[in-house]
Amino acid sequence: MPTWKETLAAKMDPQIAEEIDAFETQMALRRTGKIDEKVFAETRLRRGCYGQRYDNGHRHDGIRTQELNLPSAMTKGPDTLWDAPGMQRIKIPFGGVTAEQLDTLADLAEEYSDGILHVTTRQDFQLHYVHIDDTPNLMRRLAAVGITTREACGNSVRNVTACPLSGVCHGESFDVTPYARAAAKFMLGHPDAQGFGRKFKIAFSGCKEQACGLTNMHDMGCIAVTRVENGKEKRGFEVYVGGGLGAVPQQAKLFDTFVPEEELLPLTQAIGRVFARLGEKKNRAAARIKFLITKLGIDEFRRIVLEELNTMSPDSRWTSYISSVENYRDNPQKPPAFLNGQQRPEGFEKWFATNVYRQKQQGYAVASVTLPLGDLTSIQARQLANIARRFSADTMRTTVEQNIVLRWVAEADLPDLYRELARIGLAEPGAGTILDVVACPGTDTCKLGIASSRGLAGEIRSRLAGRLFTLDESVRNLHIKISGCFNSCGQHHIADLGFYGTSRTISNRKIPHFQVVLGGKWQDNAGAYGLAIGTVPSKNIPDVIETITSRYVAGRKGTESFQDFIKRIGKQECRSMIQPFMDVPSYESNPSLYSDWGDPREFTIGDMGVGECAGEVISVTQFDLADAERLGFEAQLHLENENYSQADASAYRAMLQAAMSLVKTQSINTKDDPNTIVSEFRTRFYETGILGDRYAGNKFAEYLFRRHDAPAAEHTYDQAHRIVEEAQLFIEATYACHDSLRERGAGGAFVPPVHTGRAAGKP
Amino acid sequence: MELHRIGVKFYAKDPTSIQLEEFIPVFHGWIQRQSLAGHLLIDVHDYSHVHNGPGILLVAHEGNVSIDVSDGRPGVIYYRKTPTAQSPVEHLLTILQSALQACRLVETDAGIRFNMDEFIVIANDRLNAPNSEETFVELQPVLAAALQETFEGAKFKLTRTSLDPKERLIITCDRQR
Repeated sequence: MPTWKETLAAKMDPQIAEEIDAFETQMALRRTGKIDEKVFAETRLRRGCYGQRYDNGHRHDGIRTQELNLPSAMTKGPDTLWDAPGMQRIKIPFGGVTAEQLDTLADLAEEYSDGILHVTTRQDFQLHYVHIDDTPNLMRRLAAVGITTREACGNSVRNVTACPLSGVCHGESFDVTPYARAAAKFMLGHPDAQGFGRKFKIAFSGCKEQACGLTNMHDMGCIAVTRVENGKEKRGFEVYVGGGLGAVPQQAKLFDTFVPEEELLPLTQAIGRVFARLGEKKNRAAARIKFLITKLGIDEFRRIVLEELNTMSPDSRWTSYISSVENYRDNPQKPPAFLNGQQRPEGFEKWFATNVYRQKQQGYAVASVTLPLGDLTSIQARQLANIARRFSADTMRTTVEQNIVLRWVAEADLPDLYRELARIGLAEPGAGTILDVVACPGTDTCKLGIASSRGLAGEIRSRLAGRLFTLDESVRNLHIKISGCFNSCGQHHIADLGFYGTSRTISNRKIPHFQVVLGGKWQDNAGAYGLAIGTVPSKNIPDVIETITSRYVAGRKGTESFQDFIKRIGKQECRSMIQPFMDVPSYESNPSLYSDWGDPREFTIGDMGVGECAGEVISVTQFDLADAERLGFEAQLHLENENYSQADASAYRAMLQAAMSLVKTQSINTKDDPNTIVSEFRTRFYETGILGDRYAGNKFAEYLFRRHDAPAAEHTYDQAHRIVEEAQLFIEATYACHDSLRERGAGGAFVPPVHTGRAAGKP
Repeated sequence: MELHRIGVKFYAKDPTSIQLEEFIPVFHGWIQRQSLAGHLLIDVHDYSHVHNGPGILLVAHEGNVSIDVSDGRPGVIYYRKTPTAQSPVEHLLTILQSALQACRLVETDAGIRFNMDEFIVIANDRLNAPNSEETFVELQPVLAAALQETFEGAKFKLTRTSLDPKERLIITCDRQR
């Protein structure tokens, strides 16, 4: 019988082929128990093989938790069954994908996955429901068309992203594509990038003002700049480090205003070496480079990196690519031609208005292919590859907004291109508008998902679909981004209207919620992060969007941006806007709120009973937690008013209050002073692991300890912003812990309940 | 030929009778009852937002079922993923039985009826079953035997739907009266 290994041997890079063989061997060793499951888990992650929801062998079916009796009890990682479907992430450096590669991706989606290609918010592709036994051949077929999955996950240099308009953008300093490609190639498997405590993400942008590169939210962000030296234009990069979203977002810090092009790769290597040497290893929650930079300070970090740079042996690869950089070009299929008098099909004008960008090269345009929720079918992918062959340059680009762009389309071909895209269902207008909702996989497939981000995104898209061009223009171009949990894969922090999934328990029933995050800034390369306003049941979020956007249209002053509007009216007012949607009616009066979008299963633990008294039963702990939430919100208001020391103090008090609420469930007479609360909390909930969950562990408790043990010497916006965010997450963790204890019959067992006539509302 | 990745699609008699979203609770119900014999039913995935796609997908370890519109025609598609350690004809018989059981369940739960006179069989493996005349010739007797047993001696005309070597081998089965 033929094998892919033999069939493709001549087409694969020998080194990549060898790596895949090695991975296959590691799989065989794991099957026989000769490799520890934790070691194998990191091994497969570094090949892009990710776990997927329910891979621990349990799934709640809406009535009971079913054991998934998969054929093998063998594991591919802790609590991760070998036979459980997994996700394969496929790195696409700078989002550049050729027609041939897209054909192969389509084949793989059909044969090993579910017929769907998913574009991620970092320009990767993902295939879901993949069996790990299929991954070596899947990787070989990718290798044969020049794609590697190496280091798509794990503690490594992840996909290097870049603006999809690189090379064709009017505002760019120069085309960053060859630099992004060189950085991706140089750092792939580099020995200095193998000892990281966490992942490391690099992004390139051609300019500072637009959003496309999102450099401010990356571990290393490189913005193209030029300067004149000795009468000659010199290329370089403004380099930022230590940005990141995640649970606690942080803006990147300026490392250098001008790193000459020949110093880019050595600097990247030096940063990697410092991160590997000094970065946190044991505590994953504090292991991203942003924490190292915060700990050292940007000046000391810079000094260490530059010192490191001087110790490194020269590497010819640092500069060998530069001679070909200026010759880098895409190869358009057609000569330039202006759109002039061609017959325009129905629907073309709307599509043209939102999905077409005129390139700096006259007569050419970029066409955005809007992918609903980042998905396209294998059939569409193959047809899109053919369309690219006919109309575009060979290389398409995926985007961080989960779309694909076709570049170098002769403008005169746009009507025909539109017809062809419409024929395969990919001519939907609205790219980059409020309709183009970004969402992470959430509870659909992600193990960490709390609420259905894709379900909510789908619902919002459905409601807006027919109305896009009747919406006020100020609303039409807002961005909505949704994450299924606090980890920010949906990039909710940088949206005008951002949401992240959480849950609440009312009368022993769980209700999916989303935290509303307003005022993030997509422009200026993710120039500002929004702040949490309040938590709303998932099913009420579309109404929240309607309310907020209507208020914006009605109350906007002149050309005031959404961010400026939110800032002007203040978070208290924003909170008032969403307050009517925050309360949760009883299950009996509105059961629909107790399930998530697109999932009929009740969002609850099925064997829990309903409260017996007429009113709700609220424990003292719940009141205490609500008070902590209030303090957290006050901290946000102080932050907004630039009272950084008060923001810090309120956030700290909020965390103490939340900690005390849990401590009191075990020791009601605990003295109400910070040292006692922290000490008791540490002993009872941190050291016992009661607070920690299997994914986040105890990291949220460490926010409290860090603030308690080392208060900030000076109060800056960054410091206050960080602690306000941390307080919010800590409160969420205490809520989750309390819910968990109640379910197990332990929480608040000896605290007399207080009977009220309403649900547990927010302050 | 070692071919275990095979798909079978039966089309709805009335294409307008299928509303994709209605199958989300239907499939969740199947998981609750583990309704499909010989299958560990795991999850439901909603792809109704993509044009002509897998619609609503029911993921099982052995094979996936979906209310599919990928070729523009609504129907039930069953994709076998795992081998059955049987002869090629027996393997295909098992696949046809699973696909037919899925159709019967859909008919019971949602009142959708299927056309058993025209359906497609997909060789979902470009390595072992490339879309070539040779593969088609090799697969024909296996398929004919499995169909004859499944449909009680009925005869089917077997036709390749596409000669494009990049596509999978897809065979249309037309019942001969």
